[in-house]
Amino acid sequence: MDFANLASALNAGTILPEGIVIVTLLGVLIVDLILGRTSSRWIGYLAIAGLLASIVALFFEWESTNPISFGGAFNGDDLSIVFRGIVALSAAVTILMSIRYVEQSGTALAEFIAILLTATLGGMFLSGASELVMIFISLETLSISSYLLTGYTKRDPRSNEAALKYLLIGASSTAVFLYGVSLLYGLSGGETQLSAIASEIATSGFGQSLGLVIALVFVVAGIGFKISAAPFHQWTPDVYEGAPTPVIAFLSVGSKAAGFALAIRLLTTTFPLVADEWKFVFTALAILSMVLGNVVALAQTSMKRMLAYSSIGQAGFVMIGLVAGTEAGYASMVFYLLIYLFMNLCGFSCVILFSLRTGTDQIAEYSGLYQKDPLLTLGLSISLLSLGGIPPLAGFFGKIYLFWAGWQAGQYGLVLLGLVTTVVSIYYYIRVVRMMVVKEPHEMSDVVKNYPQVSWSLPGYRPLQVGLVMTLIATSIAGILSNPIFTLANNSIAHTSILQPTTVVTTQVSAVNNE
Amino acid sequence: MLSTLIWLPILGAAVISLLPRSLPAINVRLTALTIAGFVLLWNIFLLLKFDISLPGMQLREYLPWNETLGLSYQLGADGLSIIMLLLNSLLTWIAIYSSNQTTERPRFFYSLILLVSGGVAGAFAAQNLLLFFLFYELELIPFYLLISIWGGEKRTYAAMKFLIYTAVSGALILATFLGTVWLTGSTNFDYNTLSTQTLSTALQIILLLGILLGFGIKIPLVPLHTWLPDAYVEASAPIAILLGGVLAKLGTYGVLRFGMALFPEAWSILAPSLATWGAVSAIYGAVTAIAQKDIKRMVAYSSIGHMGYILLAAAASTPLALIGAIAQMFSHGIILAILFHLVGVVEAKVGTRELDKLNGLMSPIRGLPLISALLILGGMASAGIPGMTGFIAEFIVFQGSFSIFPIPTLLCVVASGLTAVYFVILLNRTCFGRLDNDLAYYPKVLLSEKMPAFILAALILFLGVQPNWLVRWSETTSAAMVAAIPPIEKTVTTQVALNQ
Repeated sequence: MDFANLASALNAGTILPEGIVIVTLLGVLIVDLILGRTSSRWIGYLAIAGLLASIVALFFEWESTNPISFGGAFNGDDLSIVFRGIVALSAAVTILMSIRYVEQSGTALAEFIAILLTATLGGMFLSGASELVMIFISLETLSISSYLLTGYTKRDPRSNEAALKYLLIGASSTAVFLYGVSLLYGLSGGETQLSAIASEIATSGFGQSLGLVIALVFVVAGIGFKISAAPFHQWTPDVYEGAPTPVIAFLSVGSKAAGFALAIRLLTTTFPLVADEWKFVFTALAILSMVLGNVVALAQTSMKRMLAYSSIGQAGFVMIGLVAGTEAGYASMVFYLLIYLFMNLCGFSCVILFSLRTGTDQIAEYSGLYQKDPLLTLGLSISLLSLGGIPPLAGFFGKIYLFWAGWQAGQYGLVLLGLVTTVVSIYYYIRVVRMMVVKEPHEMSDVVKNYPQVSWSLPGYRPLQVGLVMTLIATSIAGILSNPIFTLANNSIAHTSILQPTTVVTTQVSAVNNE
Repeated sequence: MLSTLIWLPILGAAVISLLPRSLPAINVRLTALTIAGFVLLWNIFLLLKFDISLPGMQLREYLPWNETLGLSYQLGADGLSIIMLLLNSLLTWIAIYSSNQTTERPRFFYSLILLVSGGVAGAFAAQNLLLFFLFYELELIPFYLLISIWGGEKRTYAAMKFLIYTAVSGALILATFLGTVWLTGSTNFDYNTLSTQTLSTALQIILLLGILLGFGIKIPLVPLHTWLPDAYVEASAPIAILLGGVLAKLGTYGVLRFGMALFPEAWSILAPSLATWGAVSAIYGAVTAIAQKDIKRMVAYSSIGHMGYILLAAAASTPLALIGAIAQMFSHGIILAILFHLVGVVEAKVGTRELDKLNGLMSPIRGLPLISALLILGGMASAGIPGMTGFIAEFIVFQGSFSIFPIPTLLCVVASGLTAVYFVILLNRTCFGRLDNDLAYYPKVLLSEKMPAFILAALILFLGVQPNWLVRWSETTSAAMVAAIPPIEKTVTTQVALNQ
């Protein structure tokens, strides 16, 4: 193979955004090696600049005519671009949050950012990976970095415990996923590319075989772990409670988005023949997640644990779009994840800010906060109400679109359950708002009574404030001015060839013809 | 045009929340009052511009918003909504006027009230189902906060109950809206192009039941009403005025607009049971009110009773009954407002709402004679004494419904009689009798505290004497709405509409 052919098969320009992230990652590490702790003043901004550059690079790849790269191992289509953008953006906001948090915990910022960027890299590659080994490698890159980040504050026993738990469950679910993947390799007679697997399985008559169903279930177990769908959710509350808060902000948005990207790509490309089966499985997961996530969140006293169960519930809502399996369904998932990025990161910014100033994150300790810190109260109230789906905030539009797409696809039961659990979720979100806003001055908690003077001039507070205000504004108006985001979400699906009904139909038709 | 009614209060809310913290509460109140006054004036201006001879939507506005969701910013008003819009801006103004001059956290309080007012106006004017739902859900959190921050002793419980009930109501309504729009094959939520003719009757009935349950919680109808006594009683007087005067109307408006007008066939099938339901609601409200020992609870239950008439009239769906229903919605709004305001004044001055402790407020020197007199007037208006607007509305309702549903109508007449019973009990125990000489050192009632009641009383009397001003707005609209409904039962004969 001559060089020109090789270059066109590689098509390495597709991964330019990831390339920028890698360079940033190396830059952060090297700068830290040379300058040591003194670099921590601006190293965060370097990383953010890198991530933003990467997002800009993604923008230029939009509607690329030739998205397949690396001989089919990576697919830079619009679907992947949207998800890579979500992952990169969530990492950027996470860095804004973590500058002060990591400094205050007495650990090195550069290492933290380096691991976070590695996780980002894993997530971004996972969003576009279309080959089994590639999927596995990027999944593991994301996972191992997540374990490291979870246990980053290593003097805190809860962080240690969380890391161990996360590692044990994560490693075993990866093993299960790997077993499913190896079954796929075997069933398809030695194919590793997702589209090739689908057509091989279709032609070889394994279309409805038990082996394919087992492979499907094993793969779903691995995905379910990443998106914390209900039976695979048990790590979520413990990890969220123990890990550093910026880390769970990233896990709840970036890692989850990558998981959903993997779910869409893997399930639609590889398993079109057992679409009814995986839809059934995800219906069950969605029902369990919505019910369990939202009902158990009612009983939580810690803010981070409450947000953990809420994120399980939110994953359940997003799965409605996946189960719908229509273009509108996938677009509503993309839209909701975009919106979810703003509201969750805004919420976590406030939680971080509160715990930086007071050192606690018990819900009861928030009472009477409105007098001492109006911005924090506003931010947390808006983000929680948006998570609860209150108009005219962003989350309302996200939920409406999910329910609308679900209803159009005939998933009446799921939508009704989604509506019911939304009502339940309003209760526990409003409980926090009540603590902050409704409580009288004399009912103020001790922590709030001794609340420090609100000051943004301490090192690392300003980026936190910037992140908070930006996500707050986005959460408030992204619903009303949602047309660009809707267009983005719809186009990302419409321009993605694997999700077009025609391709699915043709594979199925060819399968039928060959049987 | 109509947008001003929505956005002026919301902008006002933003302005008020940005006022400096050092500003005394009374100035914040004045600002809110001015803004609400402007909204009211604008609304009156719109009412004068409104052409009562046209049955369709007027003052239309359209802006594309979100095509993916089928959501557009589409406003319009017909005879039904224009009156409700007026009621909303009138009662917002009254509610702000009747609020305490030294409210705690005034900026937050008044911006929430204005926010609610804008949202309600949006819901009444929305011509897109999703837009309606958006405005409908917009009330949820502000009202929750208004009850739970400035309420009575059990406000936490009451506010949470209100929140959950209303959220459930919202979920039911959204599910029905999604269902209606999707099943009719429509691609957007535009109200005016929606037609349910193609749906099977069974499906229509299911969807209509969803609407009825969803809005029935808000109205509230009898088995769904249990949030109401708590929320009304624990809310402060201005909030109770808004809750009962405006928010309950959102429920009846929803039933008329989205139940009756969208599902005419199913409506005519369910009408007999709805009439019975309305009658049961009316009787239940009246009987329960008799048993209450707290005057605010009495007024709260009276509200349940009076909303029953509206359901009866809507079920009968003759042009006359429908005019009556709309008139009843308006007059119940202002009567409830005057009653809640007066009860609030009595509570503030006397310090109790217990029937067993109140006595002799009519006493000219040491009692609250003027307040008692107005209370008597309000009670009489509520009980349907001729010369006041309550009588007009109820009489039109009964007149319009009797030919279709004689027995439920008679039951409602009985309920109307029972209303007189508990208001006589209320007035007898509070206004008449002797003052307790040891305890009766009540503060003076300021003129500004009497003002809202005077205005409302004047309105009640004026509309009672000149009912044409109450009914003329909705005559063509109700005739057009009724024309779409297939005749109910065999007793239907040609009804004589008021305007013929």
